[in-house]
Amino acid sequence: MLLIKRCFLTIKHSNKGKKMAYERVTIELGEHLKQDLRNVLNDFKKAKNCVSHADARINISEGQYAASQNGILKGSGRDYSLELHTRVIAGRKVNASGYYGISLGPTDIPDFAKIVKMALEKSYGRAMANAEHKFERMVSWKELGNTLWDTRLARVPIHEKTIPAKFLIWPLDVSLDTIGKTVKKISKELKKNDAKLQINDIYLATWVEREIFASAEGALIDQTFCYTQGITYVLAVSKNVQQEHYDCFGHQRGWEIVENGVNEEFTRFPNFRQFSFNLAHEASTLSACPPCPWTDKPVVVITDPHYNTLKVHEIVGHPTELDRILKMETAYAGRSWLFKNFEENMLGKRVGSALLNAYSDPTLPGYGHYQYDHEGTPAKRVWHIKNGILLGFMNSRQTSAIFGDTACDPNGHWKANGGQVVPLIRMSNTVFAEGDKNPNDIISEVEHGYYLVGHRIPSIAESRENFRISARKVYEIKNGKPVRLYRDGGMMADTHDYFMNVDAVGNDFRLYPIFNCGKGQPMQAKRLGNGGPTMRSRAKLTGGAK
Amino acid sequence: MRTKAKLSQAVEEAFLYLSQLPDIVEVEVFASSNAQNVFRIDYKSHILCNGGEEAKSKEDYGIGVQAIFKTADGIKIGFGSESNNLSLEGAKIALEKAREGAVPDNEFVSLPKTIELKRTLYDYHDPEMLELSEKDFIAAGWKILDGAIKEFLNSETLKKLALLKNKPVSSLGLIVGGDMTVVAESIAVASTSMPEIQTDESTFVTVQITAMVEKFDAKGSGYGSYAKLSKIDDKAGKEAAQNAIDACGVIINGEIQKPLSIASGTYPVIFGPQPVSELMSNLIIPSLGADAFWGLQSPFTGQFGKQVVSSEINIFDDAANPEYVGAKGITCEGLPTKRTELIKAGVLNDILSNWYETQRLLHKDPEAEKKLGKDPKELYRQGKLFPTSGFRFNRGGGRGYDATAGISGTNTVFEGTNPKNIKELVADVPFGIYIGRIWYCYPMNGLKAGDFTATVIADSFVIKDGKIMAPLKANAVRINDNIMRVLNSVKAVSNGKKASIIWAADEVPVACDILVSNVTLEEIGAEEAPPTGV
Repeated sequence: MLLIKRCFLTIKHSNKGKKMAYERVTIELGEHLKQDLRNVLNDFKKAKNCVSHADARINISEGQYAASQNGILKGSGRDYSLELHTRVIAGRKVNASGYYGISLGPTDIPDFAKIVKMALEKSYGRAMANAEHKFERMVSWKELGNTLWDTRLARVPIHEKTIPAKFLIWPLDVSLDTIGKTVKKISKELKKNDAKLQINDIYLATWVEREIFASAEGALIDQTFCYTQGITYVLAVSKNVQQEHYDCFGHQRGWEIVENGVNEEFTRFPNFRQFSFNLAHEASTLSACPPCPWTDKPVVVITDPHYNTLKVHEIVGHPTELDRILKMETAYAGRSWLFKNFEENMLGKRVGSALLNAYSDPTLPGYGHYQYDHEGTPAKRVWHIKNGILLGFMNSRQTSAIFGDTACDPNGHWKANGGQVVPLIRMSNTVFAEGDKNPNDIISEVEHGYYLVGHRIPSIAESRENFRISARKVYEIKNGKPVRLYRDGGMMADTHDYFMNVDAVGNDFRLYPIFNCGKGQPMQAKRLGNGGPTMRSRAKLTGGAK
Repeated sequence: MRTKAKLSQAVEEAFLYLSQLPDIVEVEVFASSNAQNVFRIDYKSHILCNGGEEAKSKEDYGIGVQAIFKTADGIKIGFGSESNNLSLEGAKIALEKAREGAVPDNEFVSLPKTIELKRTLYDYHDPEMLELSEKDFIAAGWKILDGAIKEFLNSETLKKLALLKNKPVSSLGLIVGGDMTVVAESIAVASTSMPEIQTDESTFVTVQITAMVEKFDAKGSGYGSYAKLSKIDDKAGKEAAQNAIDACGVIINGEIQKPLSIASGTYPVIFGPQPVSELMSNLIIPSLGADAFWGLQSPFTGQFGKQVVSSEINIFDDAANPEYVGAKGITCEGLPTKRTELIKAGVLNDILSNWYETQRLLHKDPEAEKKLGKDPKELYRQGKLFPTSGFRFNRGGGRGYDATAGISGTNTVFEGTNPKNIKELVADVPFGIYIGRIWYCYPMNGLKAGDFTATVIADSFVIKDGKIMAPLKANAVRINDNIMRVLNSVKAVSNGKKASIIWAADEVPVACDILVSNVTLEEIGAEEAPPTGV
């Protein structure tokens, strides 16, 4: 679920001082901690007969941020964090899982090995107690106990690998003052530039994360990532019309993208100042536009890559997470219309037109890039829909084992948003694949229709079988040309109908960052990549309240 | 968990030291310790599963320092924190972080000072919960799941339904999911204007369970919230399973009459406590925060003292009421909590605020009167705009030491001015819908515009001639409406108050059923299920 609560002015972060060995947490500390992690895991596995699997993860981060509102600097800081998470699968008669997560600080570093041991013991105790209860119910629940299984994980290749981050300007080399001045300047200029623009919030953060995973099987994966992310929020008012918009600027790169933007094959941004100005100009223009009309029947809708970023997230990404498919998210994120049960499902069947292709690929250079997930599985592309046929799902080792299909071998999508929570099946870079049509032709061929540009807010049905997503801009198209711009519009459709009606897919594939995908209990807000090209299909147009 | 005494000692030591530093004008020291244990349930009768899917926990503690610095460039305000170090060294590190990040915010007035209220709530938590044993925690989770499974096993309806298909009950696709979440949080705080160390400790358990009989698209929910560990029972599991069974439809002459769907149109709708709570959490409460008024985002902008919604409605935040699990003794700024009457008989009476926003509206915003609709100073004199909602709920249940206080509700209550029995509400509906659970309820075009949408996912029924006629098919209806229109079209409110657990929400909404006229409903999934309800 996409989270829409604003999070610009939550003030965190900051650090100074290099007096003592462990006065602060640093990315470099990973070198030392990963050896502890491995040694403790090995000893633990040897000492416990009932353990079938044990793993541990740490997440070290260092970063800085600044936030400005209407030209006033509201906060800035540098900070670090260190988090630990352990998982043990164990049991006497049947196996079950136990987990433990904890936030650590510099004072814990000298005792790190002891803390890892304690965490594994806690996880072990939980797994053993959980397994006892499970075994008892396998009998006492009679026929309803038959599906309780002996927890296990699908096999994956065991690797040891260190993967460095990609950047030009290391996030920690930028002065906090520079970050503060950047947001303040943009915010001040926006305020001054346009009287319609009543409120703006400008937030920038740049940071480094080092994720280390070790398992008793022998895996040791050490990945470092740079992130630079900006959020621009603007509110424009013209007479009685108000337009409130926000957008995310970001990539797995260093500070350079703030100054220079991004000009890569799939990801393109102007510099952050221009990005913010573009959004502000859009809100200002829209505040003078009429509201979008509703249509009672489906009409031709063309959607741009930015709009399709959220669309693919909601109607392809989420319903192809294997935990949903297996009904594990019934109480939270929902199920999937693609899979009723093992007998009735859409696997291998047509779910969309032959032009519809979609996949998740952690190896793409997007905001959801990684090479190994949080249980050490090598990440690989998984095709969800090929030529309109449903092919596969994002998975974890456990869900892969439950699903039991060779077509569903672990593909590396078990990810957590931090170091002390249990991973979930999450999108990596989930996209509509590129087509071969010029996007201009996709528009110019339309006699009458609507062109939706830029995503805004989603609301999707429980099994993702129906969706309504609002757009930043809606253009009415007549005789192949945009004739009118509307505000507060969007579209609504049954997913299957929408997919089946896709009749044009552009050659303008783009990847965008999503910074706020929420899932799980407790909720984890996750960064990932989504995208696609321009597409054309049919849907009902939505406006404001009827 | 770090004890209250340990946190107090840390705050006292840090406060004494920091208060004496020459460049510090004002300082606030906040320490907290949080633990969250979650037992996640995943049971299916037709797919392999663990039952108890995750027995897990996370915990943190640390110290946060917010300070006002006298610098060569003028007054600056900064915040810094340090994890897992409650010693004076930890506070010094936090201070240096605050100093490095300090900014000259000219809308800042001061750190919190005492207000004309006294704390009323002390010692309202269960100390046992701070010492939760692993054994009890896991046993309680399985007990809840047992409640649901036993309900399924003993159900005559399910046996009949299975018999109709000549298959075992397990083939009906029985699902039980959800969790039991145990939260323990402890804080200590002191500041220049309130140097006496104050502490607060809260513990609570929430349970939310969803059960399904998937063969019939029948879904039911069950909730529980407990202030005492010993009170946890299997009620939420039983309730969810029973509601799912009830939603399967009725057997007439040996044939099952399946749940109904409806054609698109406008209908009188009774929203149950869960949908009202969703509306509260995603649309109403965010519109009743001082930050939303400052930022022109609230649909109630400029309406203080005016009739903004139906006179049938009262909305308040009952922060100091220990009967509800979201209760707190003090805010994360060290101020007493209270009951804040937000909307009284449809009139906008007050808003939720923290210290920063109250001061900004009172002293720094020349547009404040226009934004509120009344002079903020006059409102304050009347006991309104009090900063009693400044919380640091940034960890899904804990009070974070690593962030400054935002604005949050606690026990947000929606009730009627003239409450009626739910049967009276149903009796007033010639043909309409009872909606018991909605999903993905968001403002589509900004908070102020108020346009929202959501889909109906469970616990819902078609009403005909003032009587519940049949279950409404799950996932077959989308609501497309506007929150201000809905709140102004409330015809009656029931007397059945119920707490709901809203995913990822800071507050615990407590709500009743409301009868609303002319709600716009869109039939979805028509291809699979042609409308049968009309």
